[in-house]
Amino acid sequence: MSWYILFSIISLIICLTSLWFHLFRLIRFGHVKEFSYKTGDTKAAVRYAFTGAMSPAKKESAFLHLPTYTAGIFYHLGTFLCILLFILFLFGIEPAGWIRSVVIGFLLVTGMSGLSILIKRIANMELRALSNPDDYISNILVTAVQLLTAGILYYGAIAPVYFIAVSLLLLYLPLGKLKHTLYFFAARYHLGIFYGWRGVWPPK
Amino acid sequence: MQNLTNEIVDKGLEVLNGHMDGKLLTHLNSCVHCGLCADSCVYYQAQPDARFIPAKKVDLVASIYRRYKTTTGKIFPGLVGARELNRETIDEMIDLLYGACTMCGRCVSHCSVGVDISYVVRKGREMLANMGFVPRTLQSTVDAAIQTGNNMGIATQEFIDTLKWLEEDLQYEVNDDTATIPLNEPGKDILYTLNPREPKFFPLSISAMAKVFFAAKESWTLSTQMYDVTNYAYYSGNLQEAAIIAQRLHDEMLKLQAKTCVLAECGHGSRAFRWEGPNYIQKNYPFEVITSVELLAKYIREGRIRLDPAKNRDKVTLHDPCNLARSGGIWKEQRYILKEAVSDFVEMNPYGLDNLCCGGGGGQLAMSEYNERRMKIGELKAEQIRKTGAKIVATPCHNCVDQLSQLNVTFKLGVQIKTLVEIVADALVLENR
Repeated sequence: MSWYILFSIISLIICLTSLWFHLFRLIRFGHVKEFSYKTGDTKAAVRYAFTGAMSPAKKESAFLHLPTYTAGIFYHLGTFLCILLFILFLFGIEPAGWIRSVVIGFLLVTGMSGLSILIKRIANMELRALSNPDDYISNILVTAVQLLTAGILYYGAIAPVYFIAVSLLLLYLPLGKLKHTLYFFAARYHLGIFYGWRGVWPPK
Repeated sequence: MQNLTNEIVDKGLEVLNGHMDGKLLTHLNSCVHCGLCADSCVYYQAQPDARFIPAKKVDLVASIYRRYKTTTGKIFPGLVGARELNRETIDEMIDLLYGACTMCGRCVSHCSVGVDISYVVRKGREMLANMGFVPRTLQSTVDAAIQTGNNMGIATQEFIDTLKWLEEDLQYEVNDDTATIPLNEPGKDILYTLNPREPKFFPLSISAMAKVFFAAKESWTLSTQMYDVTNYAYYSGNLQEAAIIAQRLHDEMLKLQAKTCVLAECGHGSRAFRWEGPNYIQKNYPFEVITSVELLAKYIREGRIRLDPAKNRDKVTLHDPCNLARSGGIWKEQRYILKEAVSDFVEMNPYGLDNLCCGGGGGQLAMSEYNERRMKIGELKAEQIRKTGAKIVATPCHNCVDQLSQLNVTFKLGVQIKTLVEIVADALVLENR
């Protein structure tokens, strides 16, 4: 096994362990004890938080910003695909034939989406004011991995660069805002509990 | 402003230490700084400025969390935008968390991730309250409630005198000497609360409710000792003071052995007692708590009162108080009531759970130093009202009534602002007794 593949495996283990620590801490801190009387259905509200409430039609952050929202959706789909491909690569599995071409094309689109979000963050004065170095580093790492994943499928010789980039991403993920990988789900869950308890969600 | 010692800073950080839970931990770690929440905030809509983006308010609190509670923030604060809790940070927190947020929660449901932004703002206010940095204007309202039992400092005798003339007025209006405003009567089904603005400035809303109770043949009473539905400590973030105020109403319910506590038309008061109160005092209430909006809807649904919508012919629109609708789930009931009580009802756009805050929430009405901002964001509401062409704006919240009344004058809307019960009382069909 090449040193860079081994490095990426070690990075993956560190990343998963760190994320596990975050998850464990979330569970250990637990819920806020609620003393008021529940009037709604929290289970239905949590389901709604992950489904209907996520609909672009329900969110101004989506329907008022369709280009950014669409780029964000593609960007995240690209990230999930890259994680899947990375795992497959470790097992020596690669897409072939037309599937490979489609994946490369898709990842180029998602990588460009990431790049456009980065450019927006740099160009927009208000977003710049909201950003810190972590915002830029996170975007650059994820975008780079998406483009390098497309690259390695096209030209295998860049494997060392690809695996080092993936390793850096995995090592950085639990440190900055990329840990929303985990906290996103917790946020939707808590929002569902909050609104469900009071009967706000799901809408009557 | 007081000197900032390490002891004071530690009191602020206590919110992130001792009071940490899974929910707070989640919301402090979830914002991705996408900035897409900006357009959902009335402050940003009224004054497009990066400082007013809701994510910025979250980041103020989260940056302190990162500085003191995360390894990355301790070692590389600049990398993750971790900030010291120093004078500069505190000044910014006061300005943005108290002065540029009504905690209306509109940004929350529109957040691309699902960060409970108003919850984080409340936690930021808790930090400031722990350190003694509540704006004096807001604190004085809390102090009045703590010291006198109501936030307007109304003397008990003055309150009783007001109720006595309202009772005489009621008897005259319904032409029945048995119509009363019962005071401190134990064992009644309902203990009705008031917003102190009612006896002070809007006594007709009390007589309107008394008229409805009379028509519904309700068993009810008012307390002269603890009738204040408001809890401005919910806004200031001082949990100890919020608990004192909630405990008083809880104790009054037990003393008078009432079955149900009915909360007057007050958005934050309803939220503070019904939803937050049990958490402030760390126990369940051994009695039922409902809002007067739910009670009015129930009376109509059960046929306990009869309404004639023809008595309210002017076009009516409705402003939803954020704490009642978005954070309390009560937004269908007021529409049901209005559809029964008026002949011409029109919605604002947007409305209901997505309604725009009027600008009077979050303690803004008490903090005169932010009046200019408050009126600026209120202009959005004024335009919403104007577009409906309504002659009457109904709202089940006395804070909103106050803000809307000021908007009415400032922006020359030429409308009447009414509470729901006033509209219901106007439409009442009284039986001959």
